[in-house]
Formats: sequence, structure tokens, C-alpha cells
Amino acid sequence: MTKRVRITEYLEIDLKTEQWCCQRCSTPLIGARENYKKGCIVAERPLQEVHPPLNKGQIYSFCPDPDYCRLIEFYCPNCGVMIENEYLPPGHPITHEIELDIDSLKLRYGATDDGNR
Amino acid sequence: MSGTVYERDLEVVQRLKPEPMTDLEKEIQSKIEDVDFEIFVHKMNMIALEGKETTMKLGASTGMRWGDVAFAIYTAQGDLAVVATGIWFHAVLGQIPVKYIIKHWLNEPTVGVKEGDSFFFNDPFYCGVHGADMGLCVPVFHKSRLACFIGAVVHTGENGSREPGGLPIGSKSKYDEGLLVPPMKIGENYALKEDILAMFSNMNRDPRTMILDIKARLAASRIAQRRITDFIQQKGYEFFVGALRRILQVSSEAAHQRVNLLNDGVYRQPRFIDVAGDEEGLVKIGITLIKKGDRIKLTFEDTSPMIPDKPINTYFQGIIGLAMVYFCGWFMHDLPANNGLLDVLDWEFPPNSIINAQGETPTAMAPGVQVCFAHGMFLCGARMTYHLDPLRAVASWYQGFGVPYFGGINQWGDPIADLTPELNATGCGARPDMDGVNCAGSFFATMSDCSDVETTELDRPFVYLFRNYFKNSYGHGKFRGGAGVGFSLMIHHMPFLALGSLGGGSRFPATMGTFGGYAVPTVFIQTVQGSNMKDILAASNPSIPVNLDQVYDEHNQEQGIKSFFNIAMPLTFLFGGDTFYAPTGGGAGYGDALERDPHAILKDLHEGMVAPWAAHNIYKIVYDEDTLRLDEEQTQEARDAARAERKKNGKSYTEFEQEWMKLKPSPAALRFYGPYPHPSRPGGM
Repeated sequence: MTKRVRITEYLEIDLKTEQWCCQRCSTPLIGARENYKKGCIVAERPLQEVHPPLNKGQIYSFCPDPDYCRLIEFYCPNCGVMIENEYLPPGHPITHEIELDIDSLKLRYGATDDGNR
Repeated sequence: MSGTVYERDLEVVQRLKPEPMTDLEKEIQSKIEDVDFEIFVHKMNMIALEGKETTMKLGASTGMRWGDVAFAIYTAQGDLAVVATGIWFHAVLGQIPVKYIIKHWLNEPTVGVKEGDSFFFNDPFYCGVHGADMGLCVPVFHKSRLACFIGAVVHTGENGSREPGGLPIGSKSKYDEGLLVPPMKIGENYALKEDILAMFSNMNRDPRTMILDIKARLAASRIAQRRITDFIQQKGYEFFVGALRRILQVSSEAAHQRVNLLNDGVYRQPRFIDVAGDEEGLVKIGITLIKKGDRIKLTFEDTSPMIPDKPINTYFQGIIGLAMVYFCGWFMHDLPANNGLLDVLDWEFPPNSIINAQGETPTAMAPGVQVCFAHGMFLCGARMTYHLDPLRAVASWYQGFGVPYFGGINQWGDPIADLTPELNATGCGARPDMDGVNCAGSFFATMSDCSDVETTELDRPFVYLFRNYFKNSYGHGKFRGGAGVGFSLMIHHMPFLALGSLGGGSRFPATMGTFGGYAVPTVFIQTVQGSNMKDILAASNPSIPVNLDQVYDEHNQEQGIKSFFNIAMPLTFLFGGDTFYAPTGGGAGYGDALERDPHAILKDLHEGMVAPWAAHNIYKIVYDEDTLRLDEEQTQEARDAARAERKKNGKSYTEFEQEWMKLKPSPAALRFYGPYPHPSRPGGM
């Protein structure tokens, strides 16, 4: 029997298989002790596709400066939902933002080694 | 006299957590009945609330009149026990000056602490934020025994720094930052010392406001003092000090229980600021939040080095103050707000970093650093709390701290220097179940207001051409952030006014979304010198721009010298008829925009709260532009196509990372950053 714990809007952890899974389509992404982003499809999104420059041709325009900032999106490889995005300076390492103590998590949810209470 | 008072007291600023319980406090605990304690807590909260309201009604500055007020009752040892505020950091940081007074002045024969005394403070080393934030406290005695302190900390808006408004972005050392007073006695025998007020007035561009604000804090404190002494008469000194202490104890216990409910793990968030004062450039705060058992530890190993001659630095105390904003306002909003909550928190700050300033380093833009950190608390907090209660996993309110400041002579001939109140008009972050509230307030001062424009215009030498929701101010998502406002000022009734602005987020967005929600757009200031706006007004020309979208529309007929500035805008002189345009950021988005209910988008279109461009290009809905009728089938197709395109264009993480890691910002963008990308590591790697 599978026991899944919801972690974010789009992520859950299967305690039996110790996998991050897409909450929308249940697709396993990667091991729960890894950075879930490594199990996602990744793309850099052009900033102007999300933040249209209203003040075109000027030094400031409501659109971030690509020398300072880029937008990276992380999608479920199966259903394509955007699990998360991250605004980073170009080339800055992608953040391992959630690193759960999986052993503690299993204890908290009463999951035995086979994933059952 | 103690030898430490001529230099900074590095010990007292560490004492943010509750002091050890005194023998008397221990002894009385078993004698306090639960019902009596509940009645006591209610009475103390009402006294504090009355104090806050009184302070607001009597004060003069923008911050005081519109609610950036923390009115608190501190124990006789200086711990924050009861507070009425939404500006939580002032409340918790206000205890450092009280503890300083107890440590240094209580037994100092040349100063002393007696009934009828009043103390003033605004040195950010002790108050944590910046020199324009000023506090006053009074001791409360019962039959010569110290029972507690009462005080109010409020942003007064001017302290004689090198630029008006108390937030000099051009500051190069702390000596550019005006009057900075460590806790100091300014009144005895229930009277303020006029010679000291005269000195303060002499060191301030807007003495009327500063002195009125001091008197407002004092008057409110005296009312609260009377209420508390009446209470002690009825219930006794021992009950009062014991019950005050019990508030800390029960809060601490509840906080430990709350933290224990969260999943153990490590949560990380790098945060970036794109301006270091009057020059642009990236700096980083590397936030690591370690949750284990019933404790949370904050560390900041990967943070940019302190910048010795730029004001984008903060004392570490301010960071803890802003952590309390998240704790009191969000994560533990249903627990009593006091420093008992800090019992769950441990922290380590790297020395000589932008979050742990030392020496004579300027800190005038400390609020910008602090709110940048606080945003990281929202992001880590959402990931940490969703499993426990999704409704706590909110996207962030606007964190850019875009605040116009000004100085000059007003239309009544009085000198003025202050901020405009729109920092209290930002949008709420979106929630897992609804859009953010438009123009909700400020995340760090949630009980504050942004004034009505007519009241602001009464004693300011400008008029508002408009101030209303700006539909390009929030982050998109499954639920969108609340809109902030766009507004326009025109210099009026006076020949000139000096104007600038404080904040961040003109190059790098100040406020990220949550769980796939988008960030708040970047922001900036526009001025038009030699504007023809008065002619447009005189002609009743219907094409006058009435919102910020129209300002940037090609049909805008305003003529003049248009200049665009970073939201951290150096002080600039504007003359009668010149105009000034600014946005106040909205809230961040929550969730994947392709999951947004199409009918919510149509409602926004109908109300002018979303641009048709965004409906088509971000939300991918198809509708009749005349009738706003949704084409459900085509919308589904458009969204399916968008998801398919994501999968087609995306790469595996490994493949993406190989290309990504070859990129780097320009040297100009990294001039303040330290080694890239990891500023704390030699060579950045």
C-alpha cells in the first residue's frame, strides 16, 4: 500500500518508494533524498514572456534586467504542470530548497519500512 | 560608571530571548489562577491597544499617523510581554533599549531610573532598523518597586541625516546618518527636559514633527502607566509581575509545540538585492533554515560581505526582528506576540557580512536588507508549513520597500521631511485558496494605512494626479497577488521640493512567487521636469493619464524632460508643476498560471485588474473580447498546447545545468557581490 505525504501544492513524497512525485499526475520524479528539481524538465523562460516591458526602449520597463536575473521553470515531465520556478542571476546554482529528513518523515507518519502504518 | 557605555554594548543586543525567571516570578506562578490570568492578558492587551491608538491620534509623522506603531509592555527585566501592533519588528527590537537602560542606567547615580522618567532612543544598533525609527519608554513603579516598562517605537520620518527622510541612500558611514541616540533619559518628574528637545530640534529638518511624535509616545505611555498602576493596586505587585512573566512562558511552550509539528529538514533560499545605495549592483543573502524537533536555526553562510561605504548593510538584530514579523504575523499569528516565541529560534550570523554590520559602516538601507531576508522566510515558510496547514503557505506580500522620501518647505511655510504613505499600500501575496488582497497594507506593518490623498495633500506641497490599483504590479499564478497602487505626484503651491526614493527591485524582482507563481514585476520611478501637466489640467483635456498604465501608453500627451530612475532614487530637486510617478508593488503569485480559473481572469478583465495581454499570453485563455464570453474548448486546447510546449522545449536538469552554469552576470552587476556565485567561498566556488 502506497503512503504519500503532501509537501507542496505540486509535490508529494511516496514514503514506501522514497520518491518525490508530481501531485497532479502521480508521476515519480526522483528519490526523496535528492533535489526534486533534478527530476523535472527545466527551461529558461524569456523574461518578457512573463513581465512585459511597458516602457519600451528605456532603462527601466517593469521587466527584469537579464544581466541581473533570469527565470527558470521546472515542469513535471509527464503532465507539464509548473511545479516551481526560480528567479536567479545568470549562472547562479539552482537552489536545493527542500531537503527533508526522510527517516524522520517516515517516523512522523508512522510508515514502516514497507510504507504502511 | 560602567566602562562599557562609551562604546557599543555588544552583549545587550544578543539578549532578544526571555531573561531567566526571577525568584519572585517563580514563586508566584503557582498562585495565579487560570481565569485571573486570562482576564489579566485581556486587560493588558486592551491597555496596549489603547496606547497604540492614542499614539497614532496624537502624532504628526506619516508613520505615526497611519499606524506604523508598536506600543508595548515590557517586563521589569525588559522582555517584550504584550504588544499592540502589526509592526512586529519594532516591538521585539524595542526591548533591546529597555534592557540597555536596565543594565546601564538603573544603578548609575548620574542617570538612574525613577518614577516619572522617560527615555528616548533611535540608534539602530540598539533599535535594529534605521535612525528614523524612534522610541520612547517609561518605567512603571509600584511603591518604589519596578513593575514594568511601557513604550512606543514608531517611524518618525526624519532624523537629520544627509538626505531628508532618515534613509540616506548616499550614506558612506554612520556619520552621514544623522542623529543616532542610544537609550537616553529625556524626562524626569513627569516632565520632558526642554534643553534636550531643543537639541533634537536643532539636529532635524522637521523639528515640529519629531517633537510632536515624542510627546505622542509619552502621552500614550502615561495613560497606559495609569491603567497599569490601577491594576496593580487591585491585584497586587506580585500577581502583576508573575502574570506578565507567565505570558512569555505560555507563548514559548506553544511556539515549541507548533514548531514540533513541522517536518524536520533543511530549507534554503538565496535572496538578491539589486542596489547597494546610490549605485546598482547585486548582493546576496544566503538563507538556510534548519528545522529539527521543536527548534529552528537560521544560518547565513553564503552571504555577501559588508560594504564599508554603502548603506546596504544591517545589524543582525534587524534580521531577527524581521524573522519575528513572519513568526508573529504568519506562522504563529494565532499565538501571543512576544519574545517568548523567539525561544524556538537559534541563529548564526557571519561576521562582517551585509547582515552583520560592524564598526562605522552605514546601515541606512537596512530596511531593504531586512525585508529581502523576510521574503526568504515567506518562501521557506511556505515549503515548511504546507503539509501542516496549506493556508499558511501564502505567497509573499511585496518586499521591495519602495518608498518616496522628500524634504522642503510646505505650503504653510513649515519645514517638512518625511515619506509618502504608499509603502502601506502594497498587495497581499496570493494564497492557496484565493487571490491576494489588493492594496492590503505593508507586510511588516499589517495594521497600518496609506492615508487618503486629501489628508496627505493638506500639509504636503504636492497634489496627487491619481492613485489607484496598478494592474501590472502583482505576480500572476493560479491565484494572483493583490494589486499594489500606481500614483503620481505633482509639485504644487511651492517653488520646489527635494524628492528621492528608497527600495530595491528595479533590476531583479524584489518579490518571488510561491509554488510556480510568478514574481512581482520590477519597479522604477519616472519624473517629468518642465511638465505641461498644468496646461493639460487647465484645458480639462480628457486624455490626461489617470493610471500608471496610461502614463506609459503611447497616447499620453504629457510633455517635458522624462527621466527614469532606479526605485532607489537619489535625492532630486523637482520644481512647481513637475511630476513624479511611482508604483507600489503588489503581492506575489501562487501556483501555475495555467491552472487559474478562466472565470477569475474574465472577472479581472471586466474590472480592469488584468491586461488582455496577460490573459492571452500568460493565462492562455480564449474569449470574445467584446462580450468577455469564455471559449472553454479553445482555452483547454491552448492550455494543453502550452503544457506540451513546455515539455518540448524543456531539458533534463543535467542538460540544462551544463549550459546554465556557463553564464555569469557582468562585472558591473557583481561589483558589490563578493566572489560569484558563492560570496563566502574563496573564488566563489
